[in-house]
Amino acid sequence: MRIQAKNIEQYYGIEYVLREVNVEIEAGSFTAIIGESGSGKTTLLSILSTLLNPTSGEVTFDGKSVGELGNIDVFRRHNIGFVFQFHYLISYLTLRENIALSALDDESVEPLMESLGIGRLAARYSDEVSGGERQRAAIARALVNRPAVVFADEPTGNLDTKNALGVYELFKRFSQGGTGFVVASHDKKIAEYADTIIEMEDGKIVKISKR
Amino acid sequence: MITPIKALRKNRFKTALIFISMSVSISAIFLISAISGGVVSMYSAMLKTDGDIIVTQKGIADTFFSDINRSMCDEIAKMEGVREAGALILGAAPVEPLPIVGIYGVSENRFKSYTLIQGSTPKNGEVIVGSKLYETLKHPKTIILSKQKFTVRGVFKSRIGFEDGGVVMSLEDAGALFHKSASIFLVSLDDLTKSDTVIEKINLLTPDIEAKTTDSFIDSYNQFKIIKTSSDVIGAMAFLMGILGIVSMMSMVVNDRKTEFGIMRSIGLSSWVIIKKLLAETLIIALVAFCVALGVSLGVLELIEHADKFQGYINGEITVSLALNVFIVSVVMAMLGTLLPAIYAARIDPMTLIQRGGS
Ligand SMILES: Nc1ncnc2c1ncn2[C@@H]1O[C@H](COP(=O)(O)OP(=O)(O)OP(=O)(O)O)[C@@H](O)[C@H]1O
Ligand SMILES: [Mg+2]
Repeated sequence: MRIQAKNIEQYYGIEYVLREVNVEIEAGSFTAIIGESGSGKTTLLSILSTLLNPTSGEVTFDGKSVGELGNIDVFRRHNIGFVFQFHYLISYLTLRENIALSALDDESVEPLMESLGIGRLAARYSDEVSGGERQRAAIARALVNRPAVVFADEPTGNLDTKNALGVYELFKRFSQGGTGFVVASHDKKIAEYADTIIEMEDGKIVKISKR
Repeated sequence: MITPIKALRKNRFKTALIFISMSVSISAIFLISAISGGVVSMYSAMLKTDGDIIVTQKGIADTFFSDINRSMCDEIAKMEGVREAGALILGAAPVEPLPIVGIYGVSENRFKSYTLIQGSTPKNGEVIVGSKLYETLKHPKTIILSKQKFTVRGVFKSRIGFEDGGVVMSLEDAGALFHKSASIFLVSLDDLTKSDTVIEKINLLTPDIEAKTTDSFIDSYNQFKIIKTSSDVIGAMAFLMGILGIVSMMSMVVNDRKTEFGIMRSIGLSSWVIIKKLLAETLIIALVAFCVALGVSLGVLELIEHADKFQGYINGEITVSLALNVFIVSVVMAMLGTLLPAIYAARIDPMTLIQRGGS
C-alpha cells in the first residue's frame, strides 16, 4: 500500500502546526519522523493514520481518500496497526487475549508471540511482565492482522535504551517482511534502523533522506 | 462469556454498586407487585367463590360504606335462576389488644362457607374467629368489640388470609355494631349465562342498589384500581431509580476505562462490538441481581405472611408470570441503563491515546 499526503496543513486557532507537508510512504518501508519537541511529529502521524482530519490537504491510501475507504473500523482492522507510547494493554486480559482481541485469524496469535519473544508469557497479565515485554505485546497486537502499515508514536518513550533498540530491531525485521512502519520519535538512534528519515522543524518537513 | 466476567471482576467495587442498585430496585418491584397483587387476588377470591353477582349500594366507592336493606335479599333469593342469596356486613373494629380487625356479619345461610375446625355455628351474642386471630389472641373464650362482650363459639379456617384474621358473627349483631342493615348481597346462580337477566331484575327492585357480576365488580372496584395504580407507579419509580443507578455507575465505569475503549477503536473493533461488551457485562449483573432479588423477595413475603402484626392482611405471592415479567423488566432496565454510557464508550476517539506535545 502507498500512503500519500498532499499539501497537509493543520491549524490550531491562528497557529499552524503543520504547513505544506507532502510525503509518500511505501509499503514495506520503515519511515522515521524525527524532530524537536513541538515540531509536529505526532500531529503528522495522527493525520497519516486517519486518526486526525487535517485542516486542509488530503491523505490517500492507494489513491483513495479517507472518505472513500468505506467503513473506517473495517479498514483499520485490516490495514492499520497502532503502537502508542504507553502500551494500553487491557489489564484484565492476558497478553494472549489482548493480542487476539482484534485478530481475524486466532491461529496467528501464538506464532506471532513466539517471533516477538513473548510466547511463554501468553497466559500472563500485563502487570506480570516487564516494560519491554509489555511493549512487545502491544506491537504484536498491532501486527496480528498483518496490516499494510503500523503507526507508532514514541513507541520507546517509556523504555530504556536496550529495550528501545530491541523495538527498532523488531520494526526493521517486520518491515523487511513487508509491513510498513511509520514511527515518530525523539530518539536519534532510530535513524540507524529506518530506511526513510523525515526531519521536521516548526511544522515543516526540512529533509527527507533515504538509505 | 469469560471476558465480561473478567472485566466485572477487575472493576469489582463498581460492579458491586451496580449489583446492589439493581437488586434493590428489582426487589422493590417484586415486593410491591406481589403484595398489591396478593391483596387484590385474595379479596377477589373471596368474592368470586361466594357469589356470581354482587349487590351494593349504588354509586358507592367502597363496599365498606355500602348500606342496603337486608330484606331485599329475601326477594332476590326468590327470583328465578337464583340458587342462593346471602347478605354480608363488612366492617372493621378494634378487638382488644389489636387496633383493627375485620368483622364479617353474615346471614344464616352463609355460615357454611366458613370451615369450622373447632366449636359450632354462633348464635346472636356469639362469634367464630379465624384461626390466625385465635392464635394471636391466645385462644380467647370471649372478645370485646365496641365495649360489647361476645362469646367465642368456634374457630374457622379460611384459605383467604385476611378472613383468617377476622371475626364472623350474625348479620343482626353486626348490624347493631355498625348501624346498618347490610353492606352487600352475594348471589349465586343456577346458570351463569343468565346473569344478565337476573342483574336486570335486581336493578329494577329499587333505584339505590346496583348489581354487577363479581368479575365486572372486581374490574371496576375503585380500591383495587387505587392499589393497582399505586403499585404500578411505585414499581415504575423503582424501575427508573434502577436505570438511573446503572446509568450513573456505568458512566463512571466507562470513564475509568476510556483507554480500553480507545484502544479497541484503534485496533478496528466496531462501535457495536464495544456496546455489546458493555451490555453483556450489565446483563450478567442483571441476571445475578434478579436471582438475588427473587430470593430476598420470597424471604420477605414469607416473613410478612407469618408476622402477627399483619394478621394475614398482607400476603403476596410471586407467580411464575410475575417472575417472568420482572425478569423482562430487569433485562430492559439493564439494557436501557447501559445504552447511553455504552454509546459514549463506543465513540471514544483513539486520538485520546496519543500523548500530545512535549513528552
Ligand atoms: N489539540 C491541540 N491544540 C492546540 N495546539 C496543539 C494541539 N495539539 C498539538 N498542538 C501544538 O502543535 C504543535 C505540534 O505538536 P505535536 O504534538 O505534533 O509535536 P511533537 O513533535 O509530537 O512533539 P513531542 O516530540 O513533544 O511529542 C505543538 O506546538 C503543540 O503545542
Ligand atoms: Mg509527540
